[in-house]
Amino acid sequence: MPINRRKFIQQTSLAAGALLATGLLPQDAEASSVTDRITILHTNDVHSRLEPFPQDGSKNAGLGGVAARAALIKDIRSQVKNVLLLDAGDIFQGTPYFNLYRGEPEMKAMAMMGYDAATMGNHDFDAGMENYAQQLQHGKFPVLLCNYDFASTPMEGKTVPYKIFMKGNLKIGILGVGIELKGLVPDNLYGNTLYHNPIEYANKYADILHKEGCDLIVCLSHLGDKYSDDKISDEILAKECFDIDLIIGGHTHRFFEEPRKYFNRRGGHTIVNQVGWAGIQLGRLDYSFSRTKKKNLAEAHTVVIGKNTS
Amino acid sequence: MLTRIATYASVVFLALSCTSAQQTTTLNYRDYKIEKQTKVDSNLIKLIAPYGDSVKLVMSKVIGFTTRGLMKRQPEGELGNFMADCLMEMGEKKFNKKIDISYVNAGGIRSYIPKGEISIGKIFELMPFDNLVVLQEVKGNILLQFLNAVAEKGPGGLAGIKMKIKDKVASNILIDGKPLDANKMYTVCTSDYTANGGGEGEVLHGIKQVNMGYLFRDALMEYVEQITKQGKPVDWKTEGRVTY
Repeated sequence: MPINRRKFIQQTSLAAGALLATGLLPQDAEASSVTDRITILHTNDVHSRLEPFPQDGSKNAGLGGVAARAALIKDIRSQVKNVLLLDAGDIFQGTPYFNLYRGEPEMKAMAMMGYDAATMGNHDFDAGMENYAQQLQHGKFPVLLCNYDFASTPMEGKTVPYKIFMKGNLKIGILGVGIELKGLVPDNLYGNTLYHNPIEYANKYADILHKEGCDLIVCLSHLGDKYSDDKISDEILAKECFDIDLIIGGHTHRFFEEPRKYFNRRGGHTIVNQVGWAGIQLGRLDYSFSRTKKKNLAEAHTVVIGKNTS
Repeated sequence: MLTRIATYASVVFLALSCTSAQQTTTLNYRDYKIEKQTKVDSNLIKLIAPYGDSVKLVMSKVIGFTTRGLMKRQPEGELGNFMADCLMEMGEKKFNKKIDISYVNAGGIRSYIPKGEISIGKIFELMPFDNLVVLQEVKGNILLQFLNAVAEKGPGGLAGIKMKIKDKVASNILIDGKPLDANKMYTVCTSDYTANGGGEGEVLHGIKQVNMGYLFRDALMEYVEQITKQGKPVDWKTEGRVTY
């Protein structure tokens, strides 16, 4: 959809007007354009880090912890209206909490923080699928995963490929993809789980979300950001997808300097972001869309990234 | 402030690209570091406190004792021998298979066991990683290359084998009392870290692994408990497995 030149002029003058405080408003500004905003908060690879790292003089001493993260999330929620809180997997494994309680306090903490959705990481299989399925009841959030087939496993029926969230005027479609389990997770822990090509399946489900009229399509991914060989990664998915606007990644424990931007198959931008591990960081992405009131957003998004310094 | 930044970006962008066929979206990002001084949510503190208390209780649980303590040493130390013997014995039990050699990489031994009581927390310090016990069938000629890499980097712990390290090369290798046979297949027990090519394990990378999801740390705890059940201290010695 080409940008409407009139809308462009109006928007520009509206914004400029507001900025310069000239008070010169276009007559039909309200009828022609609206701005919708959504704030996406995200974590990945928290690895059972419920408490901050111990004060032992190491690099991460004092960082992380669910109590501080929860307070920050609450603050942000009180400042902005439309918030989605997401996690890209590997909730489990890494501290004695997991060895003892197999994920129960992790899931309860996420429920308390109000996570909207998560995907599954390879370490979430560590105490078995039956355990994950059982702990999920404490999580109270949907697990999104479109490329694992859990038929005749204890996880059957416990995940959904995608979910649509309505936030204000925005329809946000979220799907999830998981990494190849063979060689990564012991065979006996993933049992009969079938792994399907993440690119093919992510595209298939993103297409469904696109046809559903989603304004923003987000993929939670535990594929890893990129590799030196041709192993499937978020980078490859970003370049090979059609309709995914944003990939919230994990697995590689990478602290991104800034979100990465790729051109997708539709010529629009697909953004990839990841925030390290252990809950040391909370990622925040504020999207804002301007559009004419009666029309859907365009097929492909050109994204201008800026740093929020507020 | 946020709104203003977004508006700016959108104006600038539209001004530059009004011929684009794309929908313009602005995205502002921010990474919050979760630091100690950040305020905390008391509900979450309340939620995890009981779990945390019992984690601390469990970590402090004593599962054995040592009259001498176990240290990591080169080329051979009692701690390395203990851990390698653990792999051998618990590995044979778990996999129900005779193991010829077990190996613990030096980098994977993260602490030591001081004289006195051994708590679960001590085992966690020793092996904080979730390394798994794995078996591989390794041909003698490859095993020799592996042992040379071990000799070069310095062994953590070995069991089932005797060897000399001369000029950072393995020599006088005896497995079950017999010289290494380049054509024989040996069952080797290590951690998945080593078997996946980590550290001195480079030549083991790609060789098929048997993996039962058995954590090395769990094997260590079970081994200590087993020794304690027999009424014995966890005392180990060096016995000339690896010499210069």
